[in-house]
Amino acid sequence: MHVVIINGSPRVRKYSNTEKIIAAFAKGLSEKGGTFETYTISDRNTWDIIRDAYIKNDEILIALPLYVECVPGLLLEFLETLPRKDEYTRLSFLLQSGFAEGCQLRCGEEFLAKLPGYLGVRYGGCLVKGDNFGIRILGEEKQAQVTKPYQAMGELFAEGDGFFREEAKKFTGPEYFPLPVRLIVGLIFKTLGKKMFQKAAASWGCSVPLDEKVWEV
Amino acid sequence: MLLMLDTTKVHIGKAIAEELLRSGENADGFELIDTTGMHISHCVGCNYCWLKTPGVCAIQDDYEPILRKMSKADQVWLISDTRFGFVSWQTKNIVDRIMPLVTMYLKFKDGQMRHVMRYDHQPDIGIIYTGDGDQAYLERWCQRTALNIGSRSLGVFCDSQRKEAVSCML
Repeated sequence: MHVVIINGSPRVRKYSNTEKIIAAFAKGLSEKGGTFETYTISDRNTWDIIRDAYIKNDEILIALPLYVECVPGLLLEFLETLPRKDEYTRLSFLLQSGFAEGCQLRCGEEFLAKLPGYLGVRYGGCLVKGDNFGIRILGEEKQAQVTKPYQAMGELFAEGDGFFREEAKKFTGPEYFPLPVRLIVGLIFKTLGKKMFQKAAASWGCSVPLDEKVWEV
Repeated sequence: MLLMLDTTKVHIGKAIAEELLRSGENADGFELIDTTGMHISHCVGCNYCWLKTPGVCAIQDDYEPILRKMSKADQVWLISDTRFGFVSWQTKNIVDRIMPLVTMYLKFKDGQMRHVMRYDHQPDIGIIYTGDGDQAYLERWCQRTALNIGSRSLGVFCDSQRKEAVSCML
């Protein structure tokens, strides 16, 4: 299996969480004998090359972050430039987000499930997983650790069933957190979480409160 | 205040504004912004508006004055063409860039994680669209988007239902 993997994130490649996820996924794919080529839409200058790869290949995977419940605006713009193909091409998706629960990604997933129909191609399923916000701020070793589960999904994808197998569905984790978890995590958000975010912000050169009201409303 | 953001190629916002003026009551309190010719970039996901310059977008283009108005508005109506059954990329860019209104802080609300809002006032959101929109999907997306900013959906209307949409503005 040869897969064209398109990183649909608008963020530059160097800081892209999706890029780190793709790297782990592609490693798993390779270990099962699959081959791949990767592209990223964040650089508009490469759109002609990406479109050409989309046209010439029949196994396409778009990996993307959830932006306000759906596809990022830049990816929508790129998708408009794609020509209609036929059902010999299979289009699959890897949808990731910052919010951790599966329920947060379902609206985006619904759009992606319908998108191949608009493009004339076959749907290969959508791998859905949250809790990825922090990848970019982790060190390399920790990044490899948190993205490692995607390697198994690359191995699974190489077996040819897209993301329709039960293992892919279970990969999402809980749709909602149970109440005790919400109470504990909610408390952490109000205390340690705030300090942690403020510390991360300070390392970016931020010296004001993260909830500062900059405008009069 | 009611804000209409028109990204459509045929500028249907003007006709909707005229319909609203004819209806009278709320006519003084609205503003129509036709974004044609404006430079509004996509969100690049830099997270600066959360972690480096909280509340301020790093991209210097025509968007900030619009966001300021959105933050004060009671209603924001997105007037959009459709593609793939969904809003246009021009409209999605406008929505993707509302993130400065949201803080990095998190909480649980109605059983789901949500960002804590930066300001106390949030605009409700409605959609008026041209073309072959997926009505059910647009309604779901509008509701979810409103949920993200702690407000509510005003509804989704195709262009031929503009009278119904205007009745929701009053």
